[in-house]
Amino acid sequence: MLRLAGRFTRYEIAGESMLPTLRPGDWVIVDRRAWADHEPREGEIVLARDPRKPDRALVKRIRACEPAGDLWLLGDNARRSTDSRTLGAFPPEALLGRVRWRYWPPPGAAFQALDERGTAAEAP
Amino acid sequence: MRRLPRRLSVRKLLGARAVRPRREPHVHLLSTLLRPRRLAEAHCDGPCGIYDPASARIAAEAVLSMAQKIVALGDADDPATNNTRSRFTAIKEEQAELAKRELNILWTDYFNPERTANHPDLWQTFWNAAKLCSRNKTELSVEAGEELLSTIEEIHNVFWATKGRDDVPFYLAV
Repeated sequence: MLRLAGRFTRYEIAGESMLPTLRPGDWVIVDRRAWADHEPREGEIVLARDPRKPDRALVKRIRACEPAGDLWLLGDNARRSTDSRTLGAFPPEALLGRVRWRYWPPPGAAFQALDERGTAAEAP
Repeated sequence: MRRLPRRLSVRKLLGARAVRPRREPHVHLLSTLLRPRRLAEAHCDGPCGIYDPASARIAAEAVLSMAQKIVALGDADDPATNNTRSRFTAIKEEQAELAKRELNILWTDYFNPERTANHPDLWQTFWNAAKLCSRNKTELSVEAGEELLSTIEEIHNVFWATKGRDDVPFYLAV
């Protein structure tokens, strides 16, 4: 159990660049030791340090792994994303973790009433 | 890493219970326990990837034009002229501030180490341009306006060079 401490962290998604995969307001679990047993792979959704603002974590998807190890990160929603197209390739050290699961909102309309973002929660 | 505010608040829990007796306490307890405290930004600078030094150039032209118009007003001291002078000055400052902001967006959002690799002195050009924006605010100087415009022309040339384009002329609205 102790070895798990600090491995998983919850994050809230902000912004629209990962639509439709991740919506703003989604809550996800990030695995900070995802690459203990393998190299970052194409297709993985990752959290990466913004090169222009190191205290900001960006969420993007790995679209290519360059031979030197640098990673080409793009948003799923290309039209609404600032990513490797303007920021260039990310070094592997910029990766903070891999987005493993979305735990909120749960699927299904019945649960949406519990969602603070939803209008259903405001109903009498 | 940016932290989200903690939402755990006794007052809030009680408040929620008072207003919505049936369901809300559970909602709040759940969201308090599960809510992430960190933000992952699916970020977009918007308008995404669309940069053009033209926006700074237009603001700088307005600055220069206002400086010229204020000078042309002369030193008449009647209320109408004073009013016009005040308005021109306000516009000059506003446009200088806008030019500074547009330049900052280019520098921080468009330019990166790769794009400045062939232009090691570019930071100084931007720095000069930003200083000139400030000078145009604090001073009444046609010369400062012209200098700002020519500095933006330098930035224009580098900007389009990084995009491999030589077909974008630097033109003025006036």
